[in-house]
Formats: sequence, structure tokens, C-alpha cells
Amino acid sequence: MNSIVVQNLVKRYGEVEALRGISFEVARGEVFGLLGPNGAGKTTTIKILTGLTKPTSGRALVAGFDVVEEPMEVKKRIGWVASEVIVDDELTGWENLEIQARLAGVKNWRERAAELLKYFGLSEAANRPLGKYSTGMRKRLEVAMAILHAPEILFMDEPTVGLDVGARVGLWEVVRQINKDFGVTVLLTTHYMEEAEQLCNRIAIINKGVLVATGTPDELKAKYGVDVIELEVDRPVDTAKLAAFGEVAMSNGKVLIKTGNAEEKVAEVVKAVEGIKSVRVKKASLDTVFLNLTGATFEGEQADIKRLYMKVRMARR
Amino acid sequence: MIDQLYALYKREVLKLFRSRFMWAMILAQPLMWIIFFGNSLAGLPKGFLAQYFGVDNYLAYMLPGMVTISMMTAGTFASISIVIDRRLGYLKRVLTTPTPRSAVFLAKALGGMTRGLLMVPVILALGALLGVHYKIDWGALVAWLAGLLALGIGFSSLFAVFTSNTSDVHAPGVIANFITMPLMFTSTAIFPREFFPTWLKALSEVNPLTYATELGREALIYGSAPSTTALAALALFAVTTTAIGIVMVETQLSPD
Repeated sequence: MNSIVVQNLVKRYGEVEALRGISFEVARGEVFGLLGPNGAGKTTTIKILTGLTKPTSGRALVAGFDVVEEPMEVKKRIGWVASEVIVDDELTGWENLEIQARLAGVKNWRERAAELLKYFGLSEAANRPLGKYSTGMRKRLEVAMAILHAPEILFMDEPTVGLDVGARVGLWEVVRQINKDFGVTVLLTTHYMEEAEQLCNRIAIINKGVLVATGTPDELKAKYGVDVIELEVDRPVDTAKLAAFGEVAMSNGKVLIKTGNAEEKVAEVVKAVEGIKSVRVKKASLDTVFLNLTGATFEGEQADIKRLYMKVRMARR
Repeated sequence: MIDQLYALYKREVLKLFRSRFMWAMILAQPLMWIIFFGNSLAGLPKGFLAQYFGVDNYLAYMLPGMVTISMMTAGTFASISIVIDRRLGYLKRVLTTPTPRSAVFLAKALGGMTRGLLMVPVILALGALLGVHYKIDWGALVAWLAGLLALGIGFSSLFAVFTSNTSDVHAPGVIANFITMPLMFTSTAIFPREFFPTWLKALSEVNPLTYATELGREALIYGSAPSTTALAALALFAVTTTAIGIVMVETQLSPD
């Protein structure tokens, strides 16, 4: 059974079309990643799936219930972690958990809250107001609040934004455990490729309100990513000879060969070229896939900023 | 619904009791009114006061009116609190749980009412300290307290309705000015009806502040039996505003 079914979802905010008919399915027990640049429609999708806003058209089923027809049934079965940490800073950790538990209709909340505080290493801080917590602690408490009622599906909107490396890896571990031990389906959004690769069984890449690709990380890399063999040589190379291995390009005096399965080909490449000083293999990554599909080019942006800065400096004179 | 309302109301109360500024306001506001306004008519002849105000001490006359006005102004916090929750994203947190929107609204209304009620004992104690003699009618006292509950929840609902769909922090203040000023001056909270021109008299008779104030005077100052009409009027006010609020909020309350 699918935990989430999204069919041709459209969301318009006035003139702006945030979602232009996206469709995907998330199987029960999956960790599904929604990847995209800022403003791609990730948060809008989560808002519709959690019942915070209604789609303009299209249909979405969460845990088997229609989000528009039966939002309360959906909300009983989901947990939600926001990208900005949303908790009540004036209340203590324990009080935040109590309120969340009562809102979610958890009966034996005291036991569960105590367990979760222990699990997240927050037992000692339980009676301190959240305003005195560190960002990492606040995030952990927010996750505890989201799973307090043992949801079937957990929505995490950019869960690791603003966390340090340790806290981020810690949260990944939590997501894996929640998913593995309790069979909770997870839908998370992120723009960290590494995060998606670490956590997700399947990924959908969204750009400007359209899903541009869906698949496992390996599938996406095979389909849209490229490996690169980078050679440093001390004499001119016959590029025509190398064309058999893949697309060849020169950059800063280095030879770049774009290819699939670089590890397998590298030995032959080395045999075919004379005067090699160094060899590097860059594997296809979700980064290259992401850039490939969303058309975000960092070089272009940097050039623009440089020009803008020049203009500002001129204007000051 | 009950458990969710309880949770959200508990949140309001916890936050209320932890705010030092709130306590400062609860103590300071009555003090200002009593010291400055309460003494503004001290020079009037006692006979004149007794004839037109029904009691020879203006402070005694004004005290129930002040309680009424405080209940009304405390209601503005219900709408401020909704706007703040929206800006902090807390409304999103609540609305991703199976909590009806009306529970959010009612918790705010009850929170505003609670805030107002906290001022009542302070005002009465300050009054006693400054020489107001209370002539208590116990039946009227019970009716008055019930009336204040109705007034508090009624005004909190009224204010909250206007901000159920905005995240503009200026909104509550603007709304409050449009509601509190005219209602204050068209009621008998600070001056007797006998002074009013006919049109103002008519307005004062459809003003909930008038009814709450008169109940208070019966309970504390005149020591006479409660007016059931006043209590009924206040109940009607509370039920109407709350009902409108619930209907509006169920369709209008936006999480962000």
C-alpha cells in the first residue's frame, strides 16, 4: 500500500503557480526525498500533504485519506517537523510535549514523553524553558514532538537546516532508526545532496513547480549524472584517440573525460595516454544530477554578483 | 476537542503567568485609573454626586465601570496572541494536528477573559484601600461575576475574529481603537446616563459595557438585586460573538 499518493497537484497563489501538476507515490516504509532549489515548491507540497493549505486542483491521499475531504483523519496519522524550529520558547520542554500530546490526542503521554526525552538526551533539560536550549536541542525536541503520537508518516521540511555537522549526522541517525524500527514512512525535503543520498530510498527532483526526475539515488546518477576522469599530462594529447571513452574536454591544461563507470575505464585510459603526471576519478554524484536537472550554475551566479558589486562601487564614487 | 482546548488554554495561562510585564500591567493599569481618573470629580458637591451618581463618592461609582473597561481591553490580547502565533509559525504546528480551528479560537478567547479577570481583585482591593465602602448584594455579586465571564469571552471573541486571517502586528491595535473607544464612551462605565443626549442614551442601551457596569454597581455599590435583563443581555452578547467567531474561524483562520 502507498502511504502517499499525489496526482496532478496544482497550487496557485494569485498569479504565481507554485505547483504545476506534480504526481508521485511514496510506498509504505520508504524514506522519500523531495529535492529542489529554494522556491521550487517543496514546502508548498508539504503544506498540502499536512492539510495546512488546500490544492488549487489535483488530488492527494495521505495514509489512505484524501487531504481535502478528510483532513482530520490525515492529521491523526502524520507528524510534522518544520524547517524553522517551531516550539514555544516560553514553555519548558516537558510543557511543549504535554501540549503537543494533548493536541494529537495521545493518552499515555507522560510515559512516552519521558522515554523520548531520554532517547534524545533531553531529560535533564526537561524543566528548562526552550528559550534556553541550543538550536540542536530545540530541533531534537521538535522531532520528539513530531513522533510523540507514533505517526504513520513523518513530514520533515528541510530538517537539518541550521544544524552543525554533529547535530546533522545525529538527526540522520534518528530518521533512520524511526524508519527502520517503527516502519514510519518519511517524506523529507532538502537541498543538501549528501543528506538525500544518505537517507532516501527514492528521490524526486522538483524545479519551478514541476517534477523533473524520480528514482533511487543510483538510478538518478546512472541516468543524469556523469563520472569524470581527470588527467594531468606533461605533453599534448591526441584527443581523438580518447573520444572512444567518452566526451573529452580540456580545462586549465587538464584533460577531462566524461564517462560512465569511470573506475572500469581508468586503467585503459592510462594505458592509452603517455606522459601522465596524475589521474583523478570523480564519481557521478547527486550534486551533478541536481545541477544538471535544475539548471543552477554557480559560475553564472558568481559572475553576476561580481558585476553587481562593480556597479555598486562605481555608484559610490 | 475538550482535551485540545484544555491544552491550548493551559498554554495561554502558563505564558500569561510567566510574563512580568503582564503582572506589571495588571497592577499598574488600575492604579492609574483610580489615582488620576478616580479623583477627577472629587470636587463635586456630595449632594450632587448622590443625586446623579447614586453614591456620594465618584470613585465608588466608577469602580465597576473600570472593571468592565478592563475586561474589554484585556480582550485585545486574544487577537494579539493569534497574530503572534501566526508569525511564529505556532499556528502551523497546531493545525497539523487534528485540532479544530475553533479550539484555537476558544482558547484565545478564554485566555483574554482570564487576563481580564485577574484585574478584578486588584481593582476592588485598591478601591477598598482608598476608602470605597462596598455595599454587597450576594445575588447580584454572583450575577455580576457571571456577567464578567460573558463580557470577557464576548470581547475576546470579537477582537480575535478580526485578526483570524492577518499576520499584520498593527491590526490588533487598530481594531482595538475602533472598538474600545466608542464603546467606552457610549456606555455608563464612567458617566451616568442622565447626562447623555437622547441619541447617546439610545446607544448606551445596546452597549454590553452598560449592562456589565450596572450589574457591578448593583452588586458592590448600591447593594440591590441583580437585573436579570442585564445578565441576559450579556449572555446574548457572549453567545453571539462566540458563535460568529467559531463560524468565521472555521472557514477563515489561516495558518500563515
